Amino acid sequence: MTKAFRPDVDAPEWKGGYAPYDILKEGTIALVVVALLTIALALIFSSPDEHAVTIKSWSNATPVDFAQTALSELNGTSGTAQYGAPYNTASEGQKLGPLALAKWAGARIPVNTVRDFVIDPLRALPDQPPLTQGLATWRSASDATRTNWVAHYTKAASQMTYANGQVVVSTTNAGPVPLFINDLTMMARSGALDQALVTQHGFYTTDYTKPLLFLSDGSYLKNLAQKDHLLGTQWGMMNETGSYPGQAWLWLYTFWYQVTPFSTSANADVQVWGLMMLLSVILLFVPFIPGLRSIPRKSRVYRLIWREHYRNL
Amino acid sequence: MHWFNTVGALINLDHPGHFLHWHFIEVSVANAVVMIVMVATFVVALLAPFPGRRSRKENR
Repeated sequence: MTKAFRPDVDAPEWKGGYAPYDILKEGTIALVVVALLTIALALIFSSPDEHAVTIKSWSNATPVDFAQTALSELNGTSGTAQYGAPYNTASEGQKLGPLALAKWAGARIPVNTVRDFVIDPLRALPDQPPLTQGLATWRSASDATRTNWVAHYTKAASQMTYANGQVVVSTTNAGPVPLFINDLTMMARSGALDQALVTQHGFYTTDYTKPLLFLSDGSYLKNLAQKDHLLGTQWGMMNETGSYPGQAWLWLYTFWYQVTPFSTSANADVQVWGLMMLLSVILLFVPFIPGLRSIPRKSRVYRLIWREHYRNL
Repeated sequence: MHWFNTVGALINLDHPGHFLHWHFIEVSVANAVVMIVMVATFVVALLAPFPGRRSRKENR
């Protein structure tokens, strides 16, 4: 018994003639053309030349924003301190429906914002007797006392100013906290904090996790990103700095962030990722999905490409 | 390296970009140009005759 011919699955046997085709020649021509285009476009347009944003540039541009962010690291209200996995267990993190994916992955890159962003960098500062004394006071204090100091400082910090090279907050009963915030701001403005936060895993220092997290907790980086249309709410994933074209191929990925329910969801990152994975799987299995796999045949675009052949049939 | 910097600045794109807005859609002019060029290239690829068609015809 002969099986019925299935138009989207079976290929009919070709009984016509054959013509030679040199795929290596075509590949070489494509490679040379693209290489020449790349060189020409690079010569004409150059490339984006944004200076790296550092904690030094941030704290010099907006010292109060830096000091307020340093305080948020100390009192545990910063984005990093409350993020959850992979940095800590402060929250469940991103969830895909009932699946707590981030929580399951765990705090693989532990960051204690008090220790890693404030106390440890200050300890690295040499020859600072008042600071050494302040750190000793902090170390010997109970958790309740520390919390009380930080709460007093936080209450007064809404009126924080920066004058004559000092962070000014009018407060009492804050223990060494005013000293910590001021010295950390001085350290940041000198550039020493950038170096102190880089994690040394080997000869090369390529782990910028901590300085990046610190930067992202403040509003300086966000304001710069907003100016360049790089925020998630501005289709920023597909944009580049200046007037350069960006990653236009990410249009679908960033599109979801602009529409409900994703635009208002706290779990948008994992939801958009899940949706894109689902769409990618559908694309991968197009040849096996009835209806979808018929689109090339039914749209007849192939007859336009091979119009000479079909005209002669 | 002076000549190289001069060549690199033939068309300077290191200035704030322009953006097109339509409802919630926001796209930079630079990205729009790239997309238009990509679509145009695709249409040309569909419509342009295959190279060597004339010689094939002559051989018939």
